[in-house]
Amino acid sequence: MLCGIDVGGTHTDAVLIGPEGVVACAKLPTNHDDLLASIREALSSIVAVAGPAAIDRLTLSTTLTTNAIIEGTADAVGVLVSGGPGIDPEAYRQGGHYHVLAGAIDHRGRETAAVDLDAARDVVDAWLAEGLRAFAAVTKFSTRCPDQELALRDVLAGRADCVSLGHEFSGRLGFGRRIATACLNSAVWRVYNRFCDAVEQSVADLGMTAAINVLKADGGTMPLSVSRTQPVQSILSGPAASVMGIIAVCDIAEDSVILDIGGTTTDIAVFAAGAPLIENEGIAIDGRPTLVRALRTRSIGVGGDSAVTVSRLAIEVGPRRFGPPMALGGKVPTLIDALNVQNVIAVGDPRASYQGLLDAATPHGFDPEEVAEAAILNAVNQIRSEVAAVVREINDRPVYTIFELLEGRQVRPTRVYVMGGPALALSALLQDAFSEEVIVPESFAVANAIGAALARPTFSVELFADTAAGRLTIPSLGVARSVSGNYSQAAAEGEAGASLRDYLASIGADVDDAPIETVELSSFPMVEGQELAGYNIRVACQVRPGVSGAYKQAVSKQC
Amino acid sequence: MLKARHPLGIVFFPAYDWAISPTHPERQERLLYTQDQLREEGVFDIPGVTELKPDLATAEDVARVHFCFPDVPAVTTTSHLISAGGAIRAARTVMEKEAERAFALVRPPGHHAMKVVHGSRGFCNINIEAVMVEWLRERYGPLRVAIVDTDCHHGDGTQDVYWNDPDTLFISLHQDGRTLYPGTGFPLELGGPRALGTTVNVPLPPGTSDQGFLFAMREVVMPLIEDFKPDLVINSAGQDNHFSDPITDMAFSAQGYAQLTEMLGADIAVLEGGYAIQGALPYVNLGLVLSMAGLDYSHVREPGFDPAAVRQSDKVTGYIEEVCRDIVKEARHPRGPGKGETVNGWFSRRKTLYYDTDAITEYQTESVRLCDHCRGVVKYETESTRNPLCLGVEAPIGACERCVDEAYRIYEAGQIKGEYRHLALMDRVGKNYLSFTG
Repeated sequence: MLCGIDVGGTHTDAVLIGPEGVVACAKLPTNHDDLLASIREALSSIVAVAGPAAIDRLTLSTTLTTNAIIEGTADAVGVLVSGGPGIDPEAYRQGGHYHVLAGAIDHRGRETAAVDLDAARDVVDAWLAEGLRAFAAVTKFSTRCPDQELALRDVLAGRADCVSLGHEFSGRLGFGRRIATACLNSAVWRVYNRFCDAVEQSVADLGMTAAINVLKADGGTMPLSVSRTQPVQSILSGPAASVMGIIAVCDIAEDSVILDIGGTTTDIAVFAAGAPLIENEGIAIDGRPTLVRALRTRSIGVGGDSAVTVSRLAIEVGPRRFGPPMALGGKVPTLIDALNVQNVIAVGDPRASYQGLLDAATPHGFDPEEVAEAAILNAVNQIRSEVAAVVREINDRPVYTIFELLEGRQVRPTRVYVMGGPALALSALLQDAFSEEVIVPESFAVANAIGAALARPTFSVELFADTAAGRLTIPSLGVARSVSGNYSQAAAEGEAGASLRDYLASIGADVDDAPIETVELSSFPMVEGQELAGYNIRVACQVRPGVSGAYKQAVSKQC
Repeated sequence: MLKARHPLGIVFFPAYDWAISPTHPERQERLLYTQDQLREEGVFDIPGVTELKPDLATAEDVARVHFCFPDVPAVTTTSHLISAGGAIRAARTVMEKEAERAFALVRPPGHHAMKVVHGSRGFCNINIEAVMVEWLRERYGPLRVAIVDTDCHHGDGTQDVYWNDPDTLFISLHQDGRTLYPGTGFPLELGGPRALGTTVNVPLPPGTSDQGFLFAMREVVMPLIEDFKPDLVINSAGQDNHFSDPITDMAFSAQGYAQLTEMLGADIAVLEGGYAIQGALPYVNLGLVLSMAGLDYSHVREPGFDPAAVRQSDKVTGYIEEVCRDIVKEARHPRGPGKGETVNGWFSRRKTLYYDTDAITEYQTESVRLCDHCRGVVKYETESTRNPLCLGVEAPIGACERCVDEAYRIYEAGQIKGEYRHLALMDRVGKNYLSFTG
């Protein structure tokens, strides 16, 4: 059976799923100071029902790494960077231990200036003397040629607890993102690995032998052992758990929109042909763009607890929240209070809601019902226009060929799935606002844990071959080798797919349950002095996020 | 953290599936390394910098600018409509204040395409800047526009389109026409009789480096723009003045281009030529983008760049200073229209034009009515190795009633006489565009 645990900001949810459906579930308050205790408690309650041997696979979604970064408990990292021509690498500075070395690699992966290893040694000596043990080495265009990063790793070999090299995270371009990703990875390495040790210990203590996976922000999983070297990939997996939960519970096959209306925000996710869309470049962590793949979601400040503000000109909801609704003892009327006044719901003390809206309405010559109606309408309209903007942005995404510009696939949602507290209350009004069919799936308290339990592994590889230079790299797999002049686009696509399949097999994934797709394939003839010099070939393959087919039937509902 | 001081929209469209021919300079690979460089630098992650998708220009957008013979579809492909649409998208971004400035990094280029089009000249079929400017004027009313062409080749197409338009200041900086295609762009080419001084040419000698370009900008371009007081400044941003360009002989650098861009402060830039696709374009385009966005570009330089090795000679410096002095004088006090003759109140000039890309020769007579109330109706009688005699008549923006009537009279008389194979009428006043095949 499959077990999923989602450690959220408020609750820790756990679920155990067998071939016949949900076998056990638990919902506990999260202990912020001891996430491990929350996990242990959730696991114990599951084991108590099913016994330790019944669990084949355990998947965790935690906020540990996110918290470490945001709360500043991560380690200081010594960051070695070589930039060469371009934007001043100081623009991408991370922390107080950041050194820019001479050295440059150009867009084709040619070294145009040697990296200054002597300077690197001096800086590293000084940092070690200060007590630094975590490092990152990142060079511009290292995805095209990792040699300089590898040379810097050799400088650090045997002297550091952790060295993150930029090219190991992704084959996508983005020097600043690569620096931030490698640096964050090293920063959380120690705290994350200690956590992994404790999780493994707890699992063993409970007598379990389950394979342990960790959920990523793209809605896929990775084995705990892999996450130990790439802890940054475990970041911000919470929203992914919810989205994967919806995929598991509802059978989403078409273009659709998912709205998760919470207390403070409404989160919007878009599905194309039943699969969630991935952020093009990577997620931003603590304001820093990275190369960590994530689901493409958008939040707006409209939720049940969003404040209602009244002026002579407008009645608006959000984006601010000043506490709970007045019905539950808050000081400022919120969307929930407006829904209370309109008798759409009955939460807490409706008289408090009425009084709050009356006090807000009277100075401007409105009556409370008017304000409540206008506030609800405003919330619905904000959600509708943001959804339209998100879909428009997806369809307006830049393309680079005439074919795509003319024939490129457009996302046209036909359904809107609404989840969260106020979902049912707002559904009729949302149906009026949307031309798409609005669906409120039967509420499922632990859908996010189901998402974690059933998520399958994801991974992506980018292959870059330059037959004129005779060089091939697959950065995320650490492949850098020479390539012959007659290497073709077809060979490249085959190699990228096979490498991805081999990698998945090596981490114990069920390869048949992880369909590989090619998302980018191009081959440019390279001309030098009127002559064909070779081909510049680029391939990207991925396994899209999805849920394990075998168990999906067991948890599916009519949505 | 970086933040664009001037919010910048970038329309990036490399047309990765289009080439003139597999080894032609205008091939799929041209903007590949530029895109790699911009993405690796994280340009599109900078707050205030936005990547935009091009619009698709329509046949009417083209017919508003060009007389295409036999018709628009015959001389354009989708790639040209996207390239022009990219420029339009850039202009729209600025006019609708989505960004303060915009850069259309698109291909194929357009600045060799003239008013009359029989095919492709200098890799250009339609003039993407002109299609953009006239699209703007159609929507936002009469705008005074300055176009500064910093491509190494004379912008003869843009010059021809705006030859009789006093509301468009066209300034071209380029390698001297005696040493490079298309062989025109001399200081005494100053515009038609009703638009004298709004065409300005600054031919620079081979070997001109940063110093010479920036001198010409400071001493000629900027003062003339100040005189003109445009509503919009547009840069036809060719990048083939670069010291490593394979088809030209200049010595400009990425730093120089970035400084020029900062000095000009254009609202909209549109990519033109530039064929050193590995050694120059990634760095020049990066410099341009950073400069337009008001960001630090001081670290942008070509690998192994040695300014001393390409610095212009003292002889070149002296020559440029002298030429620039004369040009400002001529532009401010033009001595009269150049070659041509005045007959019955019409000023006519004859042109023989060669379309190198398509190997077409065109013989053309352009005549403008010397009107006292407006800039005057213009007619083009043209034949080429591809088309028999054709006629194009334009009643320009702001044309007086008499000139508009005259335009229709000429167009209708041409149909009755039957000596033209294809006829086209452009009525910018009534926004009416007609064509007829005899």
